[in-house]
Amino acid sequence: MALHGLTLALGLLVGMSVAAHAAPLDEPLKPLPPIPTLDPKRVQLGLRLFNDPRLSVNNTLSCASCHRLDKGGADDKPFSLGFDGKPVEVNTPTVFNAGLNFHQFWDGRVDTLEEQVHIVVTSPAEMGSTWESVVKRIADDPGYAKDFNDAYPDGVTKPNIQGALADYERTLQTPNSRFDQYLLGNTDALTPREKFGYQRFKEYGCIACHQGVNIGGNMFQKFGIMGDYFVDRGNPTRADEGRFNITGDENDHQVFKVPSLRNVAVTAPYFHDGSAPTLERAVEVMFKYQLGREPLKNDTTLIVEFLKTLTGEWEGKPL
Amino acid sequence: MTVLRRLGLAFIGVLLAGILLFMYINSGAQQAASYIESRDLIRLLKQQDAIWDNEILKSRIALTHNYDPLVSPLHEMARLWQRLDAIEAEPGRHGPSLWEAQRDEYLKLVKEKTRLVEQFKSHNAVLRNSLAFLPTGEDDIQGQFARLPDTYRLELQNVAIDTYDLLLSSMEFAQLSSPDIAAEVLLGLNQLEVNKERLPEGLLNSVEVLRRHIGVILREQPKVNELLTGIEMVPLADRLDTITNLLEKDQAKAAAKYERNHVYLLVFATLLVLILIWLGIRLIRSFAEIKRVNNALQTANDELEQRVEERTRQLKDTQSELMDTARQAGMAEIATNVLHNVGNVLNSVNISADLVSRKLRSSKALGLGKAMQLINEHTDDLGHFLTEDAKGKLLPGYLNQLVEAIASEQQSLTDELAQLSKSVDHIKDIVATQQSYAGANSLLEPLVVSELLEDALRMNSGALTRHHVTVIKEYGDVPRIMGDKHRLLLILINLISNAKYAMAGVSNHARNMTLKADVVDGETLQISVKDEGEGIPEENMTRIFAHGFTTRKEGHGFGLHSCALAAIEMNGHLTAHSEGPGKGATFQLQVPLKLAEGEP
Ligand code: HEC
Ligand code: HEC
Repeated sequence: MALHGLTLALGLLVGMSVAAHAAPLDEPLKPLPPIPTLDPKRVQLGLRLFNDPRLSVNNTLSCASCHRLDKGGADDKPFSLGFDGKPVEVNTPTVFNAGLNFHQFWDGRVDTLEEQVHIVVTSPAEMGSTWESVVKRIADDPGYAKDFNDAYPDGVTKPNIQGALADYERTLQTPNSRFDQYLLGNTDALTPREKFGYQRFKEYGCIACHQGVNIGGNMFQKFGIMGDYFVDRGNPTRADEGRFNITGDENDHQVFKVPSLRNVAVTAPYFHDGSAPTLERAVEVMFKYQLGREPLKNDTTLIVEFLKTLTGEWEGKPL
Repeated sequence: MTVLRRLGLAFIGVLLAGILLFMYINSGAQQAASYIESRDLIRLLKQQDAIWDNEILKSRIALTHNYDPLVSPLHEMARLWQRLDAIEAEPGRHGPSLWEAQRDEYLKLVKEKTRLVEQFKSHNAVLRNSLAFLPTGEDDIQGQFARLPDTYRLELQNVAIDTYDLLLSSMEFAQLSSPDIAAEVLLGLNQLEVNKERLPEGLLNSVEVLRRHIGVILREQPKVNELLTGIEMVPLADRLDTITNLLEKDQAKAAAKYERNHVYLLVFATLLVLILIWLGIRLIRSFAEIKRVNNALQTANDELEQRVEERTRQLKDTQSELMDTARQAGMAEIATNVLHNVGNVLNSVNISADLVSRKLRSSKALGLGKAMQLINEHTDDLGHFLTEDAKGKLLPGYLNQLVEAIASEQQSLTDELAQLSKSVDHIKDIVATQQSYAGANSLLEPLVVSELLEDALRMNSGALTRHHVTVIKEYGDVPRIMGDKHRLLLILINLISNAKYAMAGVSNHARNMTLKADVVDGETLQISVKDEGEGIPEENMTRIFAHGFTTRKEGHGFGLHSCALAAIEMNGHLTAHSEGPGKGATFQLQVPLKLAEGEP
């Protein structure tokens, strides 16, 4: 109670702008939830596994090789190279905030991070390994074996390796972006131009698809609603069919999970095909193929400026 | 037989207890509890489903633009379902595969609904977007119109109206997507296509954008409607109701079973209690039985003890009788021995006497008589006779010879008489022993111990002096006692005589015999006879008191044996002690001290 009074008095002292802090804005975009509290032993194991190349068949790639946490949780290539040095089919999305996506992967083929780990480890394009050998390699390492025994009653097993990695991924959130601060009520966190950008973002209807906590990541959408993106781009590939490859449903041709736009400024290039090298280009493509509209002069720039406020912090530092 | 019956009883008891336990476990108490939890979970599931539906509707009418709420109920439902499934999938809760069928059906429906909702989200988002754009698009077009030159504007007046109409019918379509309105929209779109030719560049673009969006509406609206109906049609809530029914039915069954179980439980419990009571009674009875048997045993035991006592007493009596008999027998034996020895000794007495009388008969003293006769015949001329007469001249020589002969004769007679008196001593010894037995049962009489010892010494005195034994007397202050004189004397005489014999071979030092008498602890009379003779070797120590043991050539071997017996008969005991051969020996008699009347 006394504390409350103190904050109030402080608020009055500092002024109205701080008083506004108390009221979160009711927007279609939501700030990040708190990072879940998980067993630190498991998270620690996940961290080690994430950086361990023994997960790939030939000891060349760790998760971190493609998902570089210092590069926005992805890499800067249109297509990362798999264990065999061949490029993978789609652009590497960021692992940051991936736990908040309703499905994993561009085509949303798995629901949980655990399944996602299974797919990546055994994918012939990415790590190309088998669980038999992964479990053996990890179990043969006395350090791992001990820590796994500490963290899990049944020690090193496939589900536990998946679980540890997934738990670690769940902690990979990037809080405190300037836009989140704004959403939480600190309306001074954004410059007027950025606020305009956000307003354009809403007005043009970007929020039809990119909304919610992760500003995306909660629905599937056809890439090219207002125009045939793939015909214009040329060279259609199997991966371009998106969700159709999973469901076989005629309605799912070229349907993809709408990606999260958090940290989008630091995860170039863009789109599943890595075809947009800059954010401006990506936004233009969105206007043309998703909105079917011509942005007014400068609006793209404003929106890009807004998108840049979505970059959060990792380990206390901005990405 | 009883073992079998008991086993049977135990078996029935265990069986009943087992049944009770089984029934208790199966009593469905937990089932009832988990049924309530399941019902609660289903209620929550329905609630989440309703929330889901609600969020769908909110998106449908563009109340929210956030699609997260269309995802989150699914997580919650999955969590709830997992708990429900964990409870209900337990074996025995439902008929076989009943639950599995419900589960499959439910999961199928959830999957279907999820799929439809996903599609709804995608299509609705696009539709909302285009609908939201309509006013903006229209504004765009009207704005462009306004900027047109007046003449041009008049010319294109109906194009503007057409566009406006299209906008209206599109919006109407968004509300009531009937085929009529759809046809109207289509008509408008075609009109726009026709009008397009006449439009200037800028306007054309705007119209084109609007046209595309209306196209989207025309395409997406029915789709969204269709999806909504589809979602509505997914009988998820019904399925949950069915599951509730199943639960209810099975719960009712379980309740009935529970009730029935209760009755059984009651019956079996009563049975068990009855058995327990019966067993209790049995137990109490068997306690009584055990007590009875115990008592019987006790009395039998007591009787037995009595009988044993009696027997012991009888035995004791018999034993003392036997002892008497034995003593009499012993006395007979001793008498035989005594007589035999006396006989032997008498033999040598006879021989000695015979020898003496023969010697006396043939004594040279007779020659003295003849010489005296010669002298008497020649009394008058004795001088002459002795010097002149042929015969008389020989007489002094003859007398000289005679003196020598008589002296030696006398010596041998003395020796023979000494032998005779020794034999008589021996006989006295033997007789004394026999005498001490003869009065074995003699009464206790007042005795002065020192006098007793002196008596014993006196009886041995001849032998002691003969053997040059020095007696050292160390008599303590012993009061007058009540004692068995015969037995005491027997023992003392024997011990003294033994000591004397033991020192017979001693020549290198004085033959000392020490006699001691003391009272020990005020209740024991202790008399010891110590010699400095040949001693007793270790191996003989245990045997010396046995009947017939002797180390002496002429010993009869009943001395120490009878002494030990006599000591025991006086409730005392006789012990021997020796440091070994050549070291002397001490015999010690201990008898309980009984003071004579008048002694303090
Ligand atoms: C060869 C490079 C490579 C490696 C190594 C790799 N990934 Fe990925 N990751 C990708 C690509 C490419 C995708 C997108 C695949 C798709 O959508 O089909 C992806 C997708 C993901 C996603 C889904 C993100 C989303 O938003 O859908 C997660 C999470 C992820 N990876 C985590 C991991 C983890 C954990 C590891 C280590 C076990 C790992 N990755 C290893 C390239 C890699
Ligand atoms: C109809 C839905 C929809 C709308 C409206 C929409 N987007 Fe997208 N957005 C998508 C989809 C789908 C993708 C992924 C396409 C792909 O890579 O296959 C995407 C990708 C992007 C990306 C690239 C993300 C990355 O990491 O690769 C950006 C940036 C983006 N959108 C911004 C916008 C902006 C700005 C707007 C408004 C002007 C907008 N989007 C409107 C559906 C939409």
